[in-house]
Amino acid sequence: MGRNTSVKSQFISGVSIFGILALCPIFFPIYWTMILTEILIMGLFAMSFNLLFGYSGLLSFGQAGFFGLGAYATTISILHGVKSIWLAMLIGMAASAIGATLIGFLCVRRDEIFFAMLTLGFGMMIYTVAHNWRELTGGSDGLSLFMVPPIHFFGLEVSLEPPRAMYYFSLIIVAAAVYILWRVIRSPFGLMLMASRENKDRLYFVGANVKNIRLFAFVIAGVMAGLSGALFSLFNHMAAPSFVHWSFSARPVLMTILGGSEIFFGPACGAAIFFVLEQLVTSITENWMIVLGAILIPVVIFTPKGILGTVVSWFTDNKA
Amino acid sequence: MESFVVNLLNGLSWGMLLFLISVGLTTVFGVLGVLNFAHGSLFMLGAYLSMWVMHLVPSFWAGLVLGPVLVAVIGMVIEVFFLRPVYDRDVSYQLLLTFAILLVLDDAVRLIWGPGYHVVEAPQILAGVFPLFNHSYPVYRLFLVCIGPVIGGGLWFFFKFTRWGKLIRAAAMDREMAEGIGIRVPLLFTAVFGLGTWLAALGGALAAPHQSIGPSMGERVIIESFIVVVIGGLGSFPGAFIGAIVLGFLEAFGTVFAGRIQMALPYILLAVVLLIRPRGLFGEK
Amino acid sequence: MKRSQLFSRTILAVLLCLVMCMPAIAAEKPIKLGFVYIMSGPFSTYGQFAKQGAQLAIDEINASGGILGRKVEGYFEDSTGKPDVAARALKKLVYQVGVDCLIGLDSSGVAKTVVPLIPQMKTPLIITHAATPDVTGNICNDYVFRISLNLAQNVKAAAKVASESKANLWTTIGPDYAFGHQSWEYFQKYLKELKPGVKFMPKDKVAFSPIKTTDFSSYITKIMQSKPEGVFISLWGGNLIDFVRQADQMGFFKGDFDVLMSLGAATEVLYALKDKMPVGIWVGTRYWFLSNNSPVNVKFRTAYHKRFGQYPSYNAHGAYGAVYTYKAAVEKAKSVDKKAVIKALEGLSIELPVGKITIRAVDHQAVTDACWGKTAADPAYPIRILKPMRIFPGKEITRPVEQTGCKRK
Repeated sequence: MGRNTSVKSQFISGVSIFGILALCPIFFPIYWTMILTEILIMGLFAMSFNLLFGYSGLLSFGQAGFFGLGAYATTISILHGVKSIWLAMLIGMAASAIGATLIGFLCVRRDEIFFAMLTLGFGMMIYTVAHNWRELTGGSDGLSLFMVPPIHFFGLEVSLEPPRAMYYFSLIIVAAAVYILWRVIRSPFGLMLMASRENKDRLYFVGANVKNIRLFAFVIAGVMAGLSGALFSLFNHMAAPSFVHWSFSARPVLMTILGGSEIFFGPACGAAIFFVLEQLVTSITENWMIVLGAILIPVVIFTPKGILGTVVSWFTDNKA
Repeated sequence: MESFVVNLLNGLSWGMLLFLISVGLTTVFGVLGVLNFAHGSLFMLGAYLSMWVMHLVPSFWAGLVLGPVLVAVIGMVIEVFFLRPVYDRDVSYQLLLTFAILLVLDDAVRLIWGPGYHVVEAPQILAGVFPLFNHSYPVYRLFLVCIGPVIGGGLWFFFKFTRWGKLIRAAAMDREMAEGIGIRVPLLFTAVFGLGTWLAALGGALAAPHQSIGPSMGERVIIESFIVVVIGGLGSFPGAFIGAIVLGFLEAFGTVFAGRIQMALPYILLAVVLLIRPRGLFGEK
Repeated sequence: MKRSQLFSRTILAVLLCLVMCMPAIAAEKPIKLGFVYIMSGPFSTYGQFAKQGAQLAIDEINASGGILGRKVEGYFEDSTGKPDVAARALKKLVYQVGVDCLIGLDSSGVAKTVVPLIPQMKTPLIITHAATPDVTGNICNDYVFRISLNLAQNVKAAAKVASESKANLWTTIGPDYAFGHQSWEYFQKYLKELKPGVKFMPKDKVAFSPIKTTDFSSYITKIMQSKPEGVFISLWGGNLIDFVRQADQMGFFKGDFDVLMSLGAATEVLYALKDKMPVGIWVGTRYWFLSNNSPVNVKFRTAYHKRFGQYPSYNAHGAYGAVYTYKAAVEKAKSVDKKAVIKALEGLSIELPVGKITIRAVDHQAVTDACWGKTAADPAYPIRILKPMRIFPGKEITRPVEQTGCKRK
């Protein structure tokens, strides 16, 4: 019974968040609309990471590899004449799906730190390809998109160049992807996934194939990371090797732990906190690293459930 | 043949530096269970503080001895105030916390010493070269090649034969049991973290005459020392030694054959080892 | 009647007041310049130099009455050397701060990926460091200018130096990313034009080291084993410092081959190495503080040295020069209107510390002199200086517009 109300309240809170987000650009200046677009995209990236981390207990340190595959495949296909954004993004997702299947097949056999290091290793191999295959990827300079093709629907042509158009485009895509993630987690498969985190052996004894469950989750997470990479490349008009580097993989880790890995929207909330914090800190001081570090240390020590997680548990504790 | 021997020495000297950094990382992980992201920053701090001492007391050896000790003290402070609360948490929290410490240390160093590059001289006795075939090879590199096994041997002796070493190994194996028989585990953990920090800082102090000192120099070694520790087997002493040498050789000889994939070599090694031996070369099942 | 008269008079008075006040208000409003450099991480030294140079120029200009009577304000953002962060910083400066002009960019990769975004922001960008030929080449656009020496210009000067040496078989060691590879490609192309008989080492004999390399011994061994007659080095910053020290120990500079370092005369390298920089090596840079004794240059280097305790690096000069270039453009246009400033920048000639530069109207690349020289010790300076020194006039080293691939106009 607790679950039903929580499903309902989650759904309602999701819809109301969407509503609020849809209204934001009316009140926000252009720059903050752009920041919000980045928050949405990085939020999806962090949520894709959390499907592995929060729901399967797998700490992926190579998620930027799939993010980068999505970004590069989308950019390269547009540069090679693909006129439809939808097709380009599909190609991006397909590339990350293939990458995630191959790499996932090898990685899901390992746990904990070994899984983390394996994903780090494969991610950095993708980075090397992006950085050194100059003919295809532009090498260390990366690729730039001069023009993002307009989208067509119902005979209407909408340009994505204005920041607000890009924002709404990202909002719709991210909302759809988040809905899919939510359905995945609520499905029987999602329950098995969570069970695999709690007790791998028991699941094995009841006949479930833990490796396949994890692989499936790995691929979904990879595709979602690829989708956010595709969006990111359209938003920034570029694909660059730094999108694939391990330090980029650290971003969703940071955001997820900041927001809270046990809450569905935790990682996205962490992304928002991260960007707002960064804007605040960099506008006050140039030495943002030391300030960010000094803020992070107490957050990690005192809020083990993340910021959103801690807030949510205050409310639920009060009720109980 | 000639280039083979030279590359062998190149790989060994780099491998020994990697070993010093990694052995501290692996000891801390083995005993405390914490994978310390800030380990590279402590390596950097070792280089900076030794440089500072070397300027105060114009002696390389004073810097080499005092610098790492100072860093070890800083390390113990970090352990007491920041690491203790997160021992029972998931490894990802420890990574994030130590990452935050990395941010603070890197920026603090930049604020104190400025963002520019610094250079430290090797002492007179190690500054020369010796003839090798028809080339000359720096004595300092040979010194690095020799110092690795000396420190490694010293540590091995310490863990195997001294009381403290035995206590640490006992605590690493079973914390509760160790507490039960009256070992003051928190104190022991602080000491071990200090030891790990000291090793990283010693690596930094030894690297100083050999590479430029600059902020974020730790970021360049941290991932490689993670790789060494994981392929060697987490917490394994000989593993760190072999892992570091293998990685050193791979990078030295890689310049000859690898071409475009040079950059990916450590990661390929990492993936291959983990897929064949899930717990690393010397890891226990 | 009376009432309406009073009313209209009041309105007239208010209007008059407004009209009179307007120029005063406009004069109060400062001109905003936005700077994007690497302010954190391993390459933050470049951002610090740029910031110092920019501040010096801004303070000088404000002390002497500003630009068109308006004060100048500088806003500094950190690119961290990552293209997405740099893009965000540029957006912040344009949309949030509302700057009149953008100045900056250290990394070539960042420059190449963010330059296509600039037309959307409708704000001029003056690049002062990033050296990739492409931003004033095949991806040039209306809004982007560069006043610093680009890779092609610097390497052309290197090729001229190389063509005068006896060496006939050249190899390279450079950083393993676009800058290193492009430097080597241009070097081969230009040297071949100047000296048709010259030979180059095949791909498997040249050395490119990843940017995070700290141990160059294997690369040094590789180059020495290949027995070249000349070595062209495009390493820079910390990489170059590590390389020089390790190479010196391994007897590299005592070998019987010529050595050229395309960025060896960068002051951050010379200050770190001091007397460990071997003498008699040909080195280049984008700006050398002793390259000329024009009043502008003497004023810049003495003011900079007095305020910051070091001689200015090329990045300090770049930011300093960009502020003065912007000032000249505004004064030529008599307006800070972005379109007018862009028009004024095209074809603008200005006397900077480096010498007289002219911004070409089509590709927006400044035609600027290159300085090369042999490292030498001088007791008057704490660092190695260049003696003898060669100045290559901008016209001789800047490739013609037709060769740049710039398709504007």
